[in-house]
Amino acid sequence: MDYLFFIVMLPLLAGLVVGVIPGDRIGAIRGVTLGASWLTALLSLIAFCSFDPNGGLQFVTEWTWVESLGLKFYLAADGINIGIIFMGAVVAFAAVCCAGDVTHRIKEFYFLLNLMICGILGAFASMDLFFFYFFHELALVPTFIMIGVWGRGQNRNYATYKITLYLSFGALLALIGLIGVYVQTGAESFSIPDLMKAVEEKPITESAQQWIFPLLMFGFGILVSLWPFHTWAPLGYGAAPTATAMLHAGVLKKFGLYGLIRVAIPMAPVGAQGWLEVMAWLALANLLFCGLVAVRQKDLNLLIGNSSVAHMGFIFLGIASLNVIGLTGAVLVMIAHGLLAALAFGLSGHLYQQHRSLDMTRMGGLLRKMPLAGTALLMAMMAGCGLPGFANFAGEITIFFAAWSAGFQTITVIAAWSALVIGGLYMLRAIRNILHGPQGDDWDNASDAKPLVATAFGLLLAMLLVFGFAPNLLTKRINGEVEKIVRLAKPEGAAPEKVEVVRR
Amino acid sequence: MMEPTLSHYLLVSGALFSIGLLGVIVRRNLLIIYMSLELMLNSANVALVAMSRFYGKLDGQVMVFFIITVAAAEVAVGLALIVALYRKRQTAEVEDLATMKL
Amino acid sequence: MELAAWLIFLLPLISAVTIGIGAFRSKPISAGISIAAVVGSFILTFVMVANGSEFPDGQGPSPKVSWLRLDGLSVDIGLKIDGLSKLMLCVVTGVGSLIHIFSLGYMKEDRDFSRYFAFLSLFIFSMLGIVLADNFVMMFIFWELVGVSSYLLIGFWFDKPSAADAAKKAFMTNRVGDFGFLLGILMVWAAFGSVSFDVLEKEKATVLCGLAGFLIFCGAIGKSAQAPLHVWLPDAMEGPTPVSALIHAATMVAAGVYMLCRVFFLIEGTWAMEAIAWIGGITSLMAALMAVQQDDIKRILAYSTLSQLGYMVMVVGLGGETNSDYYKITNVAGTDAAMFHLTTHAFFKAMLFLGAGSVIYACHHEQDIWKMGGLRRRMPRTYWTFLIGTLALCGVPLFSGFFSKEAILTVAYKESMPLFLIAVAVAVLTTFYMTRLFLVAFCGEPRSKHAEHAKESPVVMTLPLLILAVPSVVAGYFNMHAPDPLILFASLIAVVFGALLANSIYRNATDDPLPVRLGFIARAMKARFWFDEIYQWFIDKVQERLAKLADIIDRWIIAGLLVRGAHGSTEFAGRVLRLAQTGNLQTYAFWFAAGLAAVLVFALS
Repeated sequence: MDYLFFIVMLPLLAGLVVGVIPGDRIGAIRGVTLGASWLTALLSLIAFCSFDPNGGLQFVTEWTWVESLGLKFYLAADGINIGIIFMGAVVAFAAVCCAGDVTHRIKEFYFLLNLMICGILGAFASMDLFFFYFFHELALVPTFIMIGVWGRGQNRNYATYKITLYLSFGALLALIGLIGVYVQTGAESFSIPDLMKAVEEKPITESAQQWIFPLLMFGFGILVSLWPFHTWAPLGYGAAPTATAMLHAGVLKKFGLYGLIRVAIPMAPVGAQGWLEVMAWLALANLLFCGLVAVRQKDLNLLIGNSSVAHMGFIFLGIASLNVIGLTGAVLVMIAHGLLAALAFGLSGHLYQQHRSLDMTRMGGLLRKMPLAGTALLMAMMAGCGLPGFANFAGEITIFFAAWSAGFQTITVIAAWSALVIGGLYMLRAIRNILHGPQGDDWDNASDAKPLVATAFGLLLAMLLVFGFAPNLLTKRINGEVEKIVRLAKPEGAAPEKVEVVRR
Repeated sequence: MMEPTLSHYLLVSGALFSIGLLGVIVRRNLLIIYMSLELMLNSANVALVAMSRFYGKLDGQVMVFFIITVAAAEVAVGLALIVALYRKRQTAEVEDLATMKL
Repeated sequence: MELAAWLIFLLPLISAVTIGIGAFRSKPISAGISIAAVVGSFILTFVMVANGSEFPDGQGPSPKVSWLRLDGLSVDIGLKIDGLSKLMLCVVTGVGSLIHIFSLGYMKEDRDFSRYFAFLSLFIFSMLGIVLADNFVMMFIFWELVGVSSYLLIGFWFDKPSAADAAKKAFMTNRVGDFGFLLGILMVWAAFGSVSFDVLEKEKATVLCGLAGFLIFCGAIGKSAQAPLHVWLPDAMEGPTPVSALIHAATMVAAGVYMLCRVFFLIEGTWAMEAIAWIGGITSLMAALMAVQQDDIKRILAYSTLSQLGYMVMVVGLGGETNSDYYKITNVAGTDAAMFHLTTHAFFKAMLFLGAGSVIYACHHEQDIWKMGGLRRRMPRTYWTFLIGTLALCGVPLFSGFFSKEAILTVAYKESMPLFLIAVAVAVLTTFYMTRLFLVAFCGEPRSKHAEHAKESPVVMTLPLLILAVPSVVAGYFNMHAPDPLILFASLIAVVFGALLANSIYRNATDDPLPVRLGFIARAMKARFWFDEIYQWFIDKVQERLAKLADIIDRWIIAGLLVRGAHGSTEFAGRVLRLAQTGNLQTYAFWFAAGLAAVLVFALS
């Protein structure tokens, strides 16, 4: 038992405690959840700081569950997931801070919220394929219920159905792929390190890889709103309660990407060969197409949702590059975007709470009206269009370098255009419409963020800035692990190929 | 006098079963359906006993005892349900008991 | 000395953060911190330059901080300190200090006084980052940060829709340039495997392709507002006037020129050079023509800035051989001349803008020169300093602008005749529109109530003017050399001709006679050759339509046809199959028995 065990189990414990508190003791319910998530965040910070970049798997908890199948309850951290767990725990704390907009069936909501947090952290901490998947589902089911019961807007029911069907379908495809991995390696174990070792000695047969990789790619891809399976995301986030949107868009969504890096690429590198180019083009579609769609949105939540889908393109592009720079950049963007998406949805939730509408054409001048939330939104938008100083920039520029050196020159050019120009366009328009200019109609009664909510925003911004100023904090942890994966996938050379010097 | 063979017994069993099945499908009164159902069970009993007798193994007869016990329990529960339903609705016709239908 | 170098760089950041997190709510303390930071940087720069301290070759002050380190890509935050960056440091911190002080007076009554100074500090920090950057990625980082601080300052009065729009436009236009810059950096990295200037300079043997050079230049097109991305600079005048002076005249817009000088070794000898020279030349001519027909005092100065930046870019593009006549900063005549003009221009243009600010302040925020007039007697200090600035900008002998402009003309004359002629024409136009501005705004009779009641600005505003007047006059003497008689003659003729022409038209004029005399040409100049309209058309008709198309596809084809289609067909199949579900148990029993019978028949036959 180590940090990770407590990080994963604390929210579950909090959920159980919430379960026995009488439903009318709202203060106690909120307090327990807040305290637990704060403690979780603190523990994850300690774990993150005491993580040794060269130490391999750390904070291990390993209990055999079903011996004959090789099932273990196996929590451990390496360079890739330690940052994500840290980010996830902080986002969870921020989400709990922002959950004050829920007004009915509070006990049930907080129970589900705790369950979701446990599932999210568990999914990223598990080194066993079974629990990896199990925890993900544990987080996913509360998501559906929360959107259905506590969601907002007229489209709530349609959004709930859509997100449930999409995500279940994606998870199902991925499950088939995962079972395929388990069966084909013949390692008689679900533990990821064992599987890695097994494929290192004897890779999965080429023909099996040919069907495993696309299953994993599209299965996980649907979970991360890979184009054209993305339409659930803006709709679902638009209808979700604030805390759910923050947690799902920020952390849970990254599960698919994490799975791609952790399972799909190392287990089926040969199968990946042909599909990576497809993935790169789909990533470009995410970036360009969803960026353009975002330009047209009038509703803040739809804009953030679409831009969040667009940002996923970076991560896919990084993964498709399949070199150390690209995968590191992908993990970097995962973490950065997690913080950013949580921040953005937290802010839009705050605005919605003030006015029951997110129509941007009717906003304006809110920077004057609510300086704290306004400044946070301004900074979030700036981070969203890839401004240096925020963690997103570090990841995005790394991915450009990676994609260029992986030979996706055309894609890089268009992706850079989408990121710098189209990304800038919709973010700046949103700032212009929401924050700048004269104050919009009937926003007189709006008030600024309360201290608790402001703390959440401040915390997320601070994390974005810290990782933006010193991406090395993350990359030195990520780098080594990623190298192993790249070496497994591309034994001939992990370093980027030096492109021929073009002579005049 | 011809010695009855296995197939005679099976024919009887098959006939009983068919009569039972027909009753289940076409009759509309719950009690009659229920009786037809019992008929089908007993046709199985006949077949089992016959098999047991002709192959000289006791397995079939043991099975029959099981069926009789289960059927007795089932009759108790089923009849109780039908009586309860009749008391509530004053009818035992299946056409009138369609409230669960969409 | 190493500590000093880092302090120069970090002091403004500390100031921005301290004010930004609201450590001190009081206005004077915020302003004090900000001014102390920039003046501190200036003093340290001065000490460093005076000591002549050199760091061992290629090595900046340690410690270099590693920002990102991966296999094949490593980015440090390191400082590059050489002649070039020292010169630029002096300009940025020097002009910066004075403008901070000027702002004390100009922004006195603004309610967001502290925010203003936080942004100014942020800008100085970002600008120093560009100046001191020792690799491409670091430069790009600060390049973007300068863009955003400029965005924040242009949109400082964000309640005003025009200011908010101008800020957005500036940022977007810069982003288009940065797009090219980023691609250029990627190409350089792909070719050399490093982004550090020192490493690149050592590997100079391999010549980069022209395209990469041109893409890098795209960054400068955006930031230094060269054609066709010049449209944001005039609009940027929506910001407070000291900001216009600092960012949009003296420092930020010069960053493009500075960057070109910094990476000149990469561009040298490729076709990108010619492109740079011609784009610079065209910009300078076009902007000068536009300036002739503007009425807003700040916009005239903005177009003049564009035109002068075009000069600098042009001369960088011309290159030229090593010229021992000059104070050697870069060893190439073209970049030397560009840096020389950049320096002198920073001083006199900042002074002109501050002078304009003083005038605007005195006239209660009236910016139309036709509503001024007769300010000569009412604002003598502003008048005299503005005169000095005008003379320097026009290139009247003995003022700093004369020497630097002469240096540019010399290079142009040696390298390219057509560009030389353009440069001379621009010199004529420069004198013409500056004389026009000067005659209309300061001489004659007051043409409005505000002008009549104008009073000289307070000392805190005029003092920086007076201080800036000194380098505006003498900055040229540090770099004197024997002028070529032909070029001397050409530049003198240009000044005299321009001044006489403007004098004959505008002396005691009450409105502009040119629109009548020139007709269409004047209208084209006034409309800035319809660049904004063309871009607006492009945005409306192309960009918006593309976005609309994407939205329609997303909404109707993906979410509609495909997703709802899948949903609809599933539901239809369900409805059809539901017909078999009668809900009658006996029917089911019948089907069950029938099925069983069928299986039996099939199995037994």
